[in-house]
Amino acid sequence: MSSRTYRSALETVMVEALENVPSTAIIGQGVTDHKGIFGTTLGLHDRYPGRVIETPLAEDSIAGICIGMGLNGVYPINTHIRADFGLLAFNQLINLAAKYKYMFGGLFEVPLMMRMVVGRSWGQGAQHSQSLQSLLSHIPGLAVVMPATPQSVLASYRYAISEHKGPIVMLEHRLLYELEFDDDEASPSHPIFGSRLDRLGSDVTVVATSIMVLEARRAADYLADFGISVEIIDLHSTSHYDKEMILTSVEKTGKLLVADTSWTFYGVAAEINRVIAEKNPRLLSLPSVSVGMAPAPCPTAKSLEDLYYPDVRVLVNEVAKLHNESDGHSVPLPDSESMVDFYKHFRGPF
Amino acid sequence: MSNRDELIIRSLRVRMVEEKIIDLYPSDLIQSPVHLSIGQETVAVGVCAALDDRDMLFPNYRGHAFYLARKAPLKEFFAELMGRKTGISKGKAGSMHLAAPDYGVMGASAVVASTISHAVGAALAERIKGKSDRVFVAVFGDGATEQGAFFESLNFCSIHGLPVLFLCEDNSLAVHTSLDDRQSFSLERLSDAFGIVFFNEEAGFDPVAVFETTSAALRHLRGGSGPALLRVKTMRYREHVGPGEDFDAGYRAERTVTQWKKKDPLLGDLSRFTAEIALIRDEIDQAVEFAIGSDFPGIEELLTDVL
Repeated sequence: MSSRTYRSALETVMVEALENVPSTAIIGQGVTDHKGIFGTTLGLHDRYPGRVIETPLAEDSIAGICIGMGLNGVYPINTHIRADFGLLAFNQLINLAAKYKYMFGGLFEVPLMMRMVVGRSWGQGAQHSQSLQSLLSHIPGLAVVMPATPQSVLASYRYAISEHKGPIVMLEHRLLYELEFDDDEASPSHPIFGSRLDRLGSDVTVVATSIMVLEARRAADYLADFGISVEIIDLHSTSHYDKEMILTSVEKTGKLLVADTSWTFYGVAAEINRVIAEKNPRLLSLPSVSVGMAPAPCPTAKSLEDLYYPDVRVLVNEVAKLHNESDGHSVPLPDSESMVDFYKHFRGPF
Repeated sequence: MSNRDELIIRSLRVRMVEEKIIDLYPSDLIQSPVHLSIGQETVAVGVCAALDDRDMLFPNYRGHAFYLARKAPLKEFFAELMGRKTGISKGKAGSMHLAAPDYGVMGASAVVASTISHAVGAALAERIKGKSDRVFVAVFGDGATEQGAFFESLNFCSIHGLPVLFLCEDNSLAVHTSLDDRQSFSLERLSDAFGIVFFNEEAGFDPVAVFETTSAALRHLRGGSGPALLRVKTMRYREHVGPGEDFDAGYRAERTVTQWKKKDPLLGDLSRFTAEIALIRDEIDQAVEFAIGSDFPGIEELLTDVL
């Protein structure tokens, strides 16, 4: 069976965008250098010199320049090698891009893509690792997508570039880049908005984002040997997820765990629980569980970092407790290994 | 009619529209803030007269004068200010967010300096799409020149040699704070540091002077020599936001404004324009009547055009 990496899928969609749509440009700090945004824009400047544009260190104005490009008929793909740097573009993204269509009564559309890489690998510390989906998904007018697989990248980026006429933020997880995935592993055409049923199960629903979808798969594989059946929903679009898919799954299992790459309060976990509480809290037979980063800035020391992020052990433990409907369970936990170390030597295929 | 008289009439039209807004304001027909251009009309009129129809202009929240100087429709203007669904943006924009893309008015923002980079991006897009001698005008006040986004935009624009006219309407005030309390730099030397040609017009009250200086800057831009920065000195007669005067607040001397007004052609002898003034008055009355007679947007608009 053939396989492909997340990175190669990103590279494919970047090449296609320039090749197929003459009015597309890639613009950002480092898009022309020898690293090429972790290998996703390598060599493109040589082939499309006027449309792969290096920038000064000026995220605010570059975001505004992208809006101006969008207003004048060119589709800009703006890159940030750390999502944290994207915070410098929030004025343009939130005050301007998100509002232009509505605020002017439909006179303008601002089609643009902002690629932000969640920088978590090892030792990235407090300012190179943040996962900003909840801040961005809060804003009407923005679409936010967290692709978890190469298939998600291909389907959603192609759709965004060719069809979507508004601003969209793609949050790409650094740990996913070099992972291999079976090429036919997922439906090749799930929509840009909405969510994806990643794995069918009957005992516990896990709603996950980005790399936590893979951690949920590892947990589900492990738990299957103990007779526990986990259903996994890849939330995919944190701004425009599939509410019905989540409600249907929770109605079936009665048990919910949300696993996000960010903090749980005011975030994805809070949002998914809101949806259930507002629809029918009795869908849950037990209190739900939220799993995310510890409520602190990210520490650099490895010993603390390993405690900071939840991993497959946490998921196994929490899902087993939900399944057992008690604070304890008889499932032995998998060997303790740092998640970053695991993805360093295990590249897939997933 | 001479070019001078033509420009004075256009400026007068802007002033008469804003004086109508002042008349209407106590009635609450306009239920949102207004940043009036009174005293600054000649800048917008002089600049826009020098532009071609195809050029794009990126204004800010003090944008009535530019919208009107680009000849965008007056009925939809008043309807917009009154929050009616016949407004140019269905009432969702109001005074601070005027736009009329068919007239090259590319959307006003109420966050200072935030549309300057849009002009640069639109110019970059034009280059990507192919050759054209269109120019792109970023409009901002002297307060905006303190923002990082302004410095960043100058830098990027100069690196790429894009045809952007950076137009600074310098009324010496950022809300209530004067230039001397805010700036340690000279705009001309800053422009020079970025390799951007600087044009200056002290006589912002004179639409012909503004027209001619703008025309000189545009010749530079259309010649492909990269961006230009044009500063026009001007005077805001009214308070920062709202219809009134606020000389009693003490942040500036009324004398400064009084002296400037002596040079204001719109306050001079207008007896030769009686016919034109009557026409403008009719046009304004009809536009106001149109707006008042229009419906308000309803629930069907609340969630339209979000995404």
